[in-house]
Amino acid sequence: MSLQRFILKRALSVIPIMFGVSVITFGLFHLTPGDPVTQLVALNPDVSAAEEAALRERWGLSGPVWEQYLTWISNVLVGDFGQELRTGREVSAIVWRRLPETIALGLFGWAFALVIAIPAGIYAAVNKDQLGDTVSRFVALSGISIPNFWLGLMLILIFSLYLGLFPVLPPSRQPLYHPDMLWYLILPGVTIGTASAASIMRVMRTSMTEELNKEYVTAARAKGLPERTVILKHVLRNSLISVVTLAATLTASIVAGSVVVEVVFNWPGLGREFINAINQREINVVMAITLFTGFFVILANLVADIVYAALDPRIRYD
Amino acid sequence: MPSRHEDSGESRTINRRNVLSTIGAAGAVGLAGCGDQSGSGDDGSGNGSGDGSSDGGSGGDGLFPLQVQLEVNADNSDRVQMVELIAESMEQTEYFETEIETYEWNTYVGRVLDPEYQDNGFIPCIGLSGTFNPESFCNALHHSDNIGACCNLNGISDSELDELMDSARYGQEVAQDNALRAERYDEVWNYLAEERYSSITHFDLETSVSNTDVHGFEMWPFQEGMYSYNMFAPQDEQIMWIDRDTAAGDSELSDLVEGGTLSIAVGANIESFDPPHSSDTTSTLAQNFLFESLVANDTEGNIYPWLAESYELLDTTDIDRTAYADYMSTVETTEEGVPDTDEQIIIQHPEDNPAEDDEVRVLLPDDAVEAAEDGTYGMHYRYSLQEGVEFHNGDEMTAEDVVATYEYYENSQLAPQTFDSVLTAVEVDEYTVDVYAQIADAEAERELPGILVLNANQLAEIEKGSLDPREDNVPIGTGPYEFAEFEDEQYYEVTKSDNYWVEQQGVAEAFSWFDGSDAFPDGPVIDGFEVEIVPDDSTRSGALQNGEIDSTYGLNSSTLDDFDSSEDYIVYGVETGGYEYIQYPVNVEPFDDPRLRKAINHLIPRQAIVENVLNGYGRPAWTDLPELAQGSGTADYDALEDEIRPTNEYDPERAAELLEEIAAEN
Repeated sequence: MSLQRFILKRALSVIPIMFGVSVITFGLFHLTPGDPVTQLVALNPDVSAAEEAALRERWGLSGPVWEQYLTWISNVLVGDFGQELRTGREVSAIVWRRLPETIALGLFGWAFALVIAIPAGIYAAVNKDQLGDTVSRFVALSGISIPNFWLGLMLILIFSLYLGLFPVLPPSRQPLYHPDMLWYLILPGVTIGTASAASIMRVMRTSMTEELNKEYVTAARAKGLPERTVILKHVLRNSLISVVTLAATLTASIVAGSVVVEVVFNWPGLGREFINAINQREINVVMAITLFTGFFVILANLVADIVYAALDPRIRYD
Repeated sequence: MPSRHEDSGESRTINRRNVLSTIGAAGAVGLAGCGDQSGSGDDGSGNGSGDGSSDGGSGGDGLFPLQVQLEVNADNSDRVQMVELIAESMEQTEYFETEIETYEWNTYVGRVLDPEYQDNGFIPCIGLSGTFNPESFCNALHHSDNIGACCNLNGISDSELDELMDSARYGQEVAQDNALRAERYDEVWNYLAEERYSSITHFDLETSVSNTDVHGFEMWPFQEGMYSYNMFAPQDEQIMWIDRDTAAGDSELSDLVEGGTLSIAVGANIESFDPPHSSDTTSTLAQNFLFESLVANDTEGNIYPWLAESYELLDTTDIDRTAYADYMSTVETTEEGVPDTDEQIIIQHPEDNPAEDDEVRVLLPDDAVEAAEDGTYGMHYRYSLQEGVEFHNGDEMTAEDVVATYEYYENSQLAPQTFDSVLTAVEVDEYTVDVYAQIADAEAERELPGILVLNANQLAEIEKGSLDPREDNVPIGTGPYEFAEFEDEQYYEVTKSDNYWVEQQGVAEAFSWFDGSDAFPDGPVIDGFEVEIVPDDSTRSGALQNGEIDSTYGLNSSTLDDFDSSEDYIVYGVETGGYEYIQYPVNVEPFDDPRLRKAINHLIPRQAIVENVLNGYGRPAWTDLPELAQGSGTADYDALEDEIRPTNEYDPERAAELLEEIAAEN
């Protein structure tokens, strides 16, 4: 099977997955108590029951759940993600406006994770069971254990408030590519990337240790290749397969992690919008962001599958 | 500014064990603070438990110990702690065995607003926010109209009380006589103290923190008006300014410095710039820089003409809403029980029920104009507008704008509260508008002009609800600041308007009621505001510490303590209309006995709640009426408090007496 056919096949599998994601999200959302109308008027003594019912009808919240779902999905199929209920603003416009912010942050975090994790993993594997290995494993364990929001707050406390290196609020009047903005991105990027870096480092170390024990390594060394070439050219490439799988899976957690980090660092991305939408029971926004995130995760996995082949020509798509 | 920690030396750690162990001490706190509480300290609760065990235990099949379930929403940890404290205090008497159920907020609201909730016999706890209108501290909780709605949770249906509350707000007599209205409310508070259907525990303290560059700042009891009030409020001679060279302290008008940009942070996104199509605090806060109202309030709720140069009440009549029947149109109802019309329903005939009837009689906007012109109305107010008021786009404000604004409020988020009292607004001439109230209503003077005046030309061009920069419509008002920039979820900026009408005319000229100092400026002195949108509390407080903003609000009490102890920041606080209450299941035995309700009320450690749970940022509710609403809510606030306070004191001895009485009868 050719690469094209493989991609096509995977692309088609997106349809049932996305359908499943949408049904589950929609269903779960309706299982949670309260809707935008209760959020808005429940504690307002001036709003009568009739006015509440009228509002619910106007916002299309009065029918049974399956009927609401059908209406929603048939609109989505023609590219209409609906409006934010209380303001009437287009949901797709909201998502598009937030998207670049979250991507910038996510990429930053992801790049940070890889840049830290891969060299650290190599170092730990090569110096297995020595002091450097133990230290890096301890740091990795801490990295996995520290919750995002706490790390974010601590970084702000130390680097912004005590050391004054970064502003607490993002320089929001600057465009994303402005140097001030990139400088500001360091703290949230580190926060988002830390947990991922820790996991990647551990996997890198394990798979590298495993590869180092294989015979071809001994052969390469016997051949007189410098250690540097053995490690970076032969062993590294072979150990990267599991790291790629993990890195792809971690994109999901980076997107999910951005929810908390965006709130702490006041970053106007999808994550903050998502929290808002959930609190206000804005179903259309929640659905759009969920679908988008789902799509993104599937895409990341697809890219990982393709990268396998580049890393290991023996892998065939059949 | 009310003092926060009346008594020092109290443990302020919010920890259940600590909180509970200090219940006894609460009496002692009261003892130090006020003589009324004498004898109600530790030994009081000690006696209570001793007596209670013997009485309660000996009955066997008697009423006591009574199983009581208290309910509360889980997301508000202060409120949960408060309920735990009340429950523990009840348990200590050994007359009660309590259980606390917590719920997720939406579940909780759905649960307690269900009309059948009252049959459970539970004691719910919830918080509401009141206004200058004293009604907001009694009607929502107790009026039978609010059963199954907000927030008569336990189905209190007392026709005598209903009548008493209605007679304090509606009818020709009170509408024309504020003193009479105040007396009637005094009757309401006394009646409530006698019946004690609900127990209000405390009134919230609204707080804000600024650095010492901000001078002349005073708290306003409502968040949404906090900055607009401070930027320029001649009714209280209130003005703030920025002086980055001297630290704020006892700043005086003579020190006033003009210019500068004030940077503040708000805790939520600005959802909309369209006044009637938003009701959240942050949106209103943002709009208040740009728009003005026909009248303004001072901190006591007194009304001052603003965009209206003056106004007068021309007539009141003694009609009720059925009097509009002749003008009403008949509309069908939909399957969901909603009248099928796209127009604003000004009044729905009180005898019709859209949930059951196939058609209902409703008064639509055109019908309302007709009725008013025929002389069918409750009240007739005439507003004479200021001449020469310019909108930011140069248009002059006239009666047309005011009338168009009322129309724009139809079918908006604010329509329910607007057309609760407004019948219609009619243009008389270029600078005169008649506004009619549906029925004679003592609150009409404040409620009728409660719109932000918008520009008629702009309203004619835009779609309803789209007065917002996100929809490419820049909001245009008459206010001292013009819209400059807004980035959704990020920031909002306003700059001082060059043609602000008060500044052009001079404050003494513009407002005939102004009798303040000559030094008081003719308009705001700050050049512009930068509003940062920062939802996270800790991030907001970090930005304030880091000097990135000058002022913010809504921080939690432990953070406030940190700022309070620093010389570089000032914490401001004022009592607001926010309050919390528990409500007794009066329709379920034995709670139909007022003695039982009073006994529990005496077991609520109000002082301890404020000291320990709220860290001092609140005021115990010694009466049901906060100082905020004293203007029309009582003839004499001190006298009222003297009278009612003893019934609301923490007094386990008195509680034990009452409970013994009940036990003896059973």
